[in-house]
Amino acid sequence: MRSLVAERMSVAEISKGKPAAVAGRRRPSLAPLRGFATAPGRGFLLTAGSIAIAFLSWQVLSTFIFNPFLIPPPLEVIRTAIPMILSGEILADVSISMSRVLVGFTVGSLAAIVFGVLLGRLQLLHDLLDPIIELMRYLSPTAMIPIAVIWFGIGELSKYFLIFWGTFFIVLVNTIAGVWRAPIARQRAAECLGANQVQIFVLVIIPSAAPYIVTGMRVAMASSFMSIIPAEILAADSGIGYLLQKSSMLLQTNRIFVALLTICLLGFVFDRIFRLLVARTLARFMSFVAVT
Amino acid sequence: MLQLDKVRKVFPAAPEPYVALDGVDLEVADGEILCLLGPSGCGKSTLLNMLAGFERPSAGSVSCGGAPIRGAGRDRVMFFQDAGSALFPWLNVEENVRFGLRVRKVPKAQWAGIIDNYLRMVDLDRHRNKFPAQLSGGMRQRLQIARALAVEPVVLLMDEPFAALDALTRRRMHAVLLEIWQRTRKTIVFVTHDIAEAITLGDRIGIMSAGPCSIISKIIDLDLPRPRDLADSAVARIFNDIERLLAPDIARSEERAAQ
Repeated sequence: MRSLVAERMSVAEISKGKPAAVAGRRRPSLAPLRGFATAPGRGFLLTAGSIAIAFLSWQVLSTFIFNPFLIPPPLEVIRTAIPMILSGEILADVSISMSRVLVGFTVGSLAAIVFGVLLGRLQLLHDLLDPIIELMRYLSPTAMIPIAVIWFGIGELSKYFLIFWGTFFIVLVNTIAGVWRAPIARQRAAECLGANQVQIFVLVIIPSAAPYIVTGMRVAMASSFMSIIPAEILAADSGIGYLLQKSSMLLQTNRIFVALLTICLLGFVFDRIFRLLVARTLARFMSFVAVT
Repeated sequence: MLQLDKVRKVFPAAPEPYVALDGVDLEVADGEILCLLGPSGCGKSTLLNMLAGFERPSAGSVSCGGAPIRGAGRDRVMFFQDAGSALFPWLNVEENVRFGLRVRKVPKAQWAGIIDNYLRMVDLDRHRNKFPAQLSGGMRQRLQIARALAVEPVVLLMDEPFAALDALTRRRMHAVLLEIWQRTRKTIVFVTHDIAEAITLGDRIGIMSAGPCSIISKIIDLDLPRPRDLADSAVARIFNDIERLLAPDIARSEERAAQ
């Protein structure tokens, strides 16, 4: 059941990241729109349009319908943001939050890949640990905040731990699924060609699992962005989450909205960077997924 | 070259163990093409897996060149029907062939020559930088052939390698395989459920009975010149004989599948 879900998720995730040429082929062709559908810069135009519409309706709603204190209009938010950006306040919070995400995410992913590859390969170990993993992965990072604070205090370590926690299980489950799905025929073919067990493992099974691992990492990256905020709200004296918390205490809705917008932007930018990195370095491991 | 002696293979299954093969005797001579033909589920692939060393017989012996087969050996290479999963999709054509040379520690200086030779043999040298996903089904199978030949095996074990190809491509692959065979004289064990394919390729055809407890019920010598034309009366007669021979077993295997 679990592996089924993992597979479905990964296929959906990967197809999102597939090259534009492949995506374009699948698009239903609507004759009147064809010129636009293939026009260069179409994606950019649509994105810009979407954001413009959102800002416009936000401005109208917050000015004429809702209380502008509860929903500050975008121009007001931008006016608040400029000094926060210029003074370096935002940047300081962003960089501290991001360093927490990066450390926890990197360590969590690496640990999960090593562990997942072993578990995917050693049936006995897997059967022994699987029930525990199945239970533990329901402990979201948020649920772990109180105990993390007691264990690690409100310093960096507790945040690293919480991000690690959120990343680890997602990448782990995907890695195991990927190792399991390395085709038997491919392993046997390698064996016939003269590869020993270690070579089969390193040169065949792990590359075959790569698309699953990368997919798990992308999902875990998104989850890290989700979980750093509550962690910082409840147990930190710096970072975007702390900015949110502090602004809320002082009823500074403008600043809250600046922080929220920052989170949106960061998540988006990080996912793009991740995809770009994958495309640059792992393309050959990912490309075949969309085709076969 | 290859020898099976009273081979029995039992798979654990519920409610009772499944006896796939029971008393299979077979000898494959050096440099011949032996086709194994039988209805689905007759244990052809199991037999091939044992020759490859992926599986062990439950009783009896399987040997290659007089030595019992205990695992995948450097002298025997298996071919798979699903080239998409058998090839390394993250390696391009050239790198796929190189894989075997690398893991077998063939001296680097020889790589280029060997790769060129076999890619040219299967007519893929112009596509050496493509990835398997960019190749057609027939090209992928040719790549599998080149990759296997590059490590210079003595025996090729082919598990319905062309079954998933369209009829025209399959015919082309038969010609490619026969040409390579005539040049290299490898020993080939070719599993198929296609009578025409078995007749086109084989020096001999081993007919397998439907499972459970399959055996090689008959060996047919094909003393006919190649290329063989199915419209030729001698060839057509053999085709009909085999069809008649297989009919009751096909019925049996269908009935079993329906249960």
